[in-house]
Amino acid sequence: MNFRNFIKDKVLQIFLIIFGVFTIEVFLICFNCNLFLKIYIPVCILILYLISILPEYFIRKKFYNNLFDLLEGLEDKYLIAEILQKPNFEDGKILKEIIEITDKSMIENVNKYKYLQEDYKEYIELWIHEVKTPIATSKMIIENNKNEATKKIDEELDKIDNYTEQALFYARSNVVSQDYYIKKSSLQDIVNEAICKNRTNLINEKFSINLHDLEATVNTDKKWIIFILNQIIQNSIKYRNLKSPELEIYSKKGKENIILCVKDNGIGIKKGEEQRVFEKGFTGTNGRVSNHKSTGIGLYLSKKLSDKLGIGIDLRSEEGKFTEVSLIFPRNSYNSFE
Amino acid sequence: MKKILIVEDDEKLREELKIFLEKNGYEIDYLESFDNITQNILDSKSDLVLLDINLPRVDGEYVCKEVRKVSSLPIIIITSRNNEIDELLSINYGADHYVTKPFNIQILLAKISSLLRRTSFDGNDKIDGKEFILNLSKSTIEKKDKQVELTKNEFKILKYLIEKRNKIVSRDEIMEYLWESESFIDDNTLTVNITRLRGKLEELGLKELLQTKRGQGYMLV
Repeated sequence: MNFRNFIKDKVLQIFLIIFGVFTIEVFLICFNCNLFLKIYIPVCILILYLISILPEYFIRKKFYNNLFDLLEGLEDKYLIAEILQKPNFEDGKILKEIIEITDKSMIENVNKYKYLQEDYKEYIELWIHEVKTPIATSKMIIENNKNEATKKIDEELDKIDNYTEQALFYARSNVVSQDYYIKKSSLQDIVNEAICKNRTNLINEKFSINLHDLEATVNTDKKWIIFILNQIIQNSIKYRNLKSPELEIYSKKGKENIILCVKDNGIGIKKGEEQRVFEKGFTGTNGRVSNHKSTGIGLYLSKKLSDKLGIGIDLRSEEGKFTEVSLIFPRNSYNSFE
Repeated sequence: MKKILIVEDDEKLREELKIFLEKNGYEIDYLESFDNITQNILDSKSDLVLLDINLPRVDGEYVCKEVRKVSSLPIIIITSRNNEIDELLSINYGADHYVTKPFNIQILLAKISSLLRRTSFDGNDKIDGKEFILNLSKSTIEKKDKQVELTKNEFKILKYLIEKRNKIVSRDEIMEYLWESESFIDDNTLTVNITRLRGKLEELGLKELLQTKRGQGYMLV
């Protein structure tokens, strides 16, 4: 607040004072008082008035400046009610009360949606757990009745399973609560499980698999990482090299981290699109080719889950040559490895 | 014959599991009512239990804990909850293994047989291949006093062919089986492995045992 605006608010008051001084002056002139009184009384009144409004100005200036400083330093602005000290003047007290009331109402409103989302996530989880049993049963029926037709159905079932898994993790990725469990896990196990999950497609497309340097362990949620790897491997299959597809998975140790790399010799990604593949719904030049059916969800979700887990995800590619996705596990007190 | 008890409320899944496991040489029993389930499990005199965690009215984890109090019966938990916390909890309640739906049937089979081998003292670690014996613990083939060592992949292929004896097994089927047991080999490697395996069988004088059916696959006769 500046002084000019403060004075502007007092226009009526100042106008009345000046009117009063003017009236007194008229009286003083009428009663023929001496010059000293004629000057002293109006000046005295004006000075006293100024003295009375100056502290009012400074108290407010201090309060509001402080308020704005606090807001500046605060990431979640709505928390201001919690840290704002109670002012000792009436309109300030009223302001603080108003902030507190609106804040409370907003938090309640946000909580309502948080609850709704949590509730929806729980429903999705429940639904997915329910649907896993018929999938498992169907797969068992196929196992007991192997032929060309059931083999094809089996492949479609794998797709259904992958889509339900994606929905599950999508629901998990959106809630605020922590939904993972960090445990020491071996990279070899994680990679084996992810490849095993995609075995039918990988064998059908005649992939050659090269796994090496996977002896490390990382502290992470195994299930989440397998899901992320699964998305990456599915992309490698989708955008494979049609002549002799290869998939190489290995890890390398950096000073501050351990990096798990998944590299294929597929069609690659057009220059300039490498980072955009993590955007939701981004399908890129490759994805728009009709037979690939890209949804633009897989890598977006992988990135989101990686962020939640505190690991990095990066992609390098050269069109027509290769694509390499790296998962970067940081080495710190929460996430150490040997 | 080892007896496996299936505790699963989905009738169809139970039925299909029964068919599959019986085909693989196990005797199968299952519970039809889920009242007094702990006692029923203990009374069944089974060698292993496949326990679904989501049962009507009772919690599988609770059952697992109750059984573990009085018996060291091997328990494999089957669940559709795919997360680390549930897995850890089940292991804490004393389950030996944990598989999630839809399960990989070969892995389930491998878990069952390794668990049974570990828990039974009279466990047989040799498979009779008529003209030869496949030693599971040493990964060798033996004939009289001669023996030849097999690599991991050769061993797995031979074991699978013995299981499917006198049936034509396609290359894809063998590949799928190897991948399920975490050997991710390609087409060429499979050819090499088959050739070497045939060579090793011939070393023991077993010619013509492993036949190639052109365009269809292989057969152990």
